[in-house]
This record gives sequence, structure tokens and C-alpha cells, in this order.
Amino acid sequence: MATRRLVLPPVAWFLLPWAAVYAAFFVFPFVFSFVLAFLDYNPLNVAGTRFVGTENFARLFGDSAFHGALRNTVLFVAGTVPVTTAAALGLAALLRGAIPMKGVFKAALFLPSILSVVVISLLFKLFYAPGGALNEFLARLGIEGHGWLTDPRTALPAIMAMDVWAAVGYYAIVLDAARTSIPDSLYEAAELEGAGTWATFRHVTFPLLKPAIAFVLVINTIRSFQVFVEVLVMTQGGPLGSTNTLVLYLYDTAFRRLDYGYASVVAYAVFLLSGIFSIVAMRRFRSETAVEGARPL
Amino acid sequence: MRLVRMALLALLVAVMAYPLAWMIATSLETAEGPSLRYYGEVWQAGPFDRYFINSLAVAVIVLLGNIVCCTMAGYAFARFRIRGGKFLFLLVLSTIMLPKQVILVPLYILMQKMGLIDTYWALTLPFLVDPFNIFLIRQYVSTLPADCEEAARIDGAGEFTILFRVVFPMLKPVLAVVAIHTCLTNWNSFLFPFILTHSSNMRTLPVGLAMLSQGAHSIDWGHLMAGAVISALPVVAAFLVLQRRIIGGLTAGISK
Repeated sequence: MATRRLVLPPVAWFLLPWAAVYAAFFVFPFVFSFVLAFLDYNPLNVAGTRFVGTENFARLFGDSAFHGALRNTVLFVAGTVPVTTAAALGLAALLRGAIPMKGVFKAALFLPSILSVVVISLLFKLFYAPGGALNEFLARLGIEGHGWLTDPRTALPAIMAMDVWAAVGYYAIVLDAARTSIPDSLYEAAELEGAGTWATFRHVTFPLLKPAIAFVLVINTIRSFQVFVEVLVMTQGGPLGSTNTLVLYLYDTAFRRLDYGYASVVAYAVFLLSGIFSIVAMRRFRSETAVEGARPL
Repeated sequence: MRLVRMALLALLVAVMAYPLAWMIATSLETAEGPSLRYYGEVWQAGPFDRYFINSLAVAVIVLLGNIVCCTMAGYAFARFRIRGGKFLFLLVLSTIMLPKQVILVPLYILMQKMGLIDTYWALTLPFLVDPFNIFLIRQYVSTLPADCEEAARIDGAGEFTILFRVVFPMLKPVLAVVAIHTCLTNWNSFLFPFILTHSSNMRTLPVGLAMLSQGAHSIDWGHLMAGAVISALPVVAAFLVLQRRIIGGLTAGISK
């Protein structure tokens, strides 16, 4: 019998690089992390790796540091996403129609979203610092300065405000782009009916923008659940754990305490939470638009 | 009304620009008056020259990988009837939105076992095929007529020739979007490069900058802001030149 040569159809070759990278660096780690969740896997363990069943999951429920991180993350998401979305809608409304220097406004709004989060975080660490821009500005108004990032009551809100600053422009431009698909005739009709700005927004812009708003809510929620670099650079989770977030806790567990097994369970918690929240958001807006057009941020 | 809107927008631009202006002012403000001293120092001692080269090398490698691999996969998904193709494409879509943190620990262990921590391999291999790019290219190819491909096929051209000689030149617009998205994502990427490198020599700009801010320089604002400006400068410069393209590219596929 002649030796058989493996002949792949061209389409298989086309898919091969993706399949190889996807299998090696996504599917395999994904499955591996599921296995890890049931192991006590710590390179510092003298006893070596052992199977601990659901012990890691049980730990999650009694872990007050995890609960703190969960609470802070939920606060962060609940406090930033609605504000960013509302502000972005408002900005998109301001951008409607022909106005001079529209390009400049759009560019200025968009600029923060192309900057690295590390750059933005450092910038705001300085902005909030004792001698920073914010306190200097307040001093000019005769208001006493404040250690925004060193007071446990203001540290998380300060970081949330920064996130709104950094994200609002991108979403405003996204909503503005979606709004351009609303026919002008609808606005003309609304005007003829004598609808005011608010009525026009409520009955024309908002309903037609629902899919785009759903999209913005979903990607912003998923992104916000992953908040990490900001707190790592600005506060390291402090003061008193007031800015500890889930991904920072995941990082600490895995790479400072080398507790890989438990870290995998924390990772799954992040995964499930952002997954659930995005499904809820999509359902609420009953949108048919898939998340297909999303640029992962 | 128009004036109110203009005024509101102008105020907003000021709010957006104020922290950025403060960053640049701080980076220039030395004891001897305004100078580029901090830039020179952080460039050499940071060592931001090394970080810059690393960021650039990683961006170029990942960009080339994405252009070749995602074009192949996107074209295949658009043009070929593949058994289970729908399911495979669904896999591509689902990975776009998944929080990547879930694979952070296992990917680190994998790289460690392979001895690749702290190498360009670790910084590039997992990112060579971004599913979002496959999605973009598939959507774009679906809108193109298949006439040229059919003609080439009748002339006896092989599938690779058809893809890279006939189809590829028609993909310029979508490849521009792919390039913008890929370069920006990688230039600003932090979490994975941070975990997958240990030595100062292998850090990319965002990682190097974050490390500088954690050390003895944590409130050395002049040097930190100079480093921040160096990290941001290439993207800001590109943005000023290619503004429309970049805004269009990064909001691509959203409006319906």
C-alpha cells in the first residue's frame, strides 16, 4: 500500500493559525483554570499539589477580603456605568446637527480613550495629590484641600470620577455615530408637532438609540468589572482595602501569595459576574443587536 | 441655543484638557525652569528607551501576525462552507467579549512551564490572532463580490494565491481598521505584559511606567509625567494625524 499523505483542504490551512493559537492560549488555559479551581496548587507548598474538591469555592464564602473586593467592584460598576451612559447620551445630544468646530470637540472627547490606563491613572494620582491640580483649584476658591486618595471615604469615588472622565467621550462618540442613522425626517416631524428638546429626546432619540445604549451598557459593564490597573497604580487597593477590587484581589492571590488554585476560583467569580450583568443589561433593553460590533476595551 | 451648546462643549473640552495640560506642565517644570531634563533622564535611566523598543517590537510582530492570520481565518469564515463553521464562528465571537482574567493564572503557569516567561514569545504568541479582527475581516469580505475570486479559480490559481494576490489588495479599508485596533490595544496593554515579564529589560512602556510609579519614584512627579508623556506621545501623534480614521475605526461595526 502506498504511503498516505495527509492532505488538508485549503480552508483548513486558513483556519489553522487561529485554531492553534486559540487552542493553546485560550481553550487550554480555560480548561486548565477549571481544574486549578479544585486544587491546592501553590509552588511554595512543600506537600505539593493536592486535590481539595470544592474547598476553594467554600473559602470564597468566608473570605472577608473577597467580600470587600466584591462590594467595591459592584459599587464601582453601579456608580460609574449609569453616570457614564447618561453623560454620554447628553454629550451625543450636544453634538447633534451642524455646529462649528465639531471635529475639534469630537477629537477632544475621544482623546482619553486612546491613552493607556496607566498614563491616565498616574495623571489622576497627581491630579488628586496633596499639591495637585484639584486641591490647587479648590484653594483658589477658598476650599481646604483634601487627601483624596488617602481617605478611605473618598479614594474609591475619586477613582470612579476618573473612570467617568476617561470613558465618557468614547461612549459619546459611539452613541453619536449610532444617532446619525436616525433619519432627520423624524426630528423634523417632532419639531412640527411642537415637541421640545426633552420630548424629542424621549420619543425619538432614546427609543431609536436603545440598541446602541444596550451595547454601551454591556461593554462598559464588562470593562468596569475588570477594574484593576487604576487601583494598582493609584492606591494598591488601599487605604484600608477601600479600593480593593476583584481583579486586584485575583492578582494578589495569584502573584503575591502564589495561591493559584484559589485565585482561579476568584477569576471565575469575575467571569460569572460580568457575564450575568451583561446578560441582564441586554435583556432589559430587549435588544436584538448582538454584541458583535463590540471593540473589546 | 446653539451658543449654549457651544459653550457647554467648550467647557467640556477644558475639563478633558486640564489634566493633560497639567501632565505636560509637570514634566517640563524643573528646578532650573522649563526644560526637557526629566525626559532625558527617564529615557536613559528608566530605561524608557528599552521599553519603547519592546513596545514597538511587540506591536509590529502582533500586527503582522494579526494581518496574516486574521485575514486567512476571516476570509475562510466568509467564503467557505465549513462543517461546523457556524459553531466555530460563534466561538470566535464569544471570545471577543469574555473577560480575559479567567485565563491569567493558567496562561502564566503554561508560559512558565514552557520557559517563555520574560521573552518576546510570551508577549506576542497569545495575541497573534485577535478574534475581533477575524470578525471585522469576515464582515468585510462578505460584502465583496466573489467574481474576481471565481475568475482566478477558473484560471487555475491556488487558494493561497487567490487570497493573497486577489482578495488581499481589496481589503485595505478593513485592514486599516484592524491595524488601528491592534496597534492601540497592544501599545496600551498592561495586565498580560505585566504578568508575563519579570526583568526590566522585557517591560513594555505601560508596564515600565507603572513600575516606575511603584518604586522610589512614586511621587517624583517630574520624571513620572515625562515617562507618561513618552508613553502617550506616539498614539497622540498618530491620533492627531489620522483622527477621522481612528475614531471611525474604533467605533466600527457599532452603528446599524
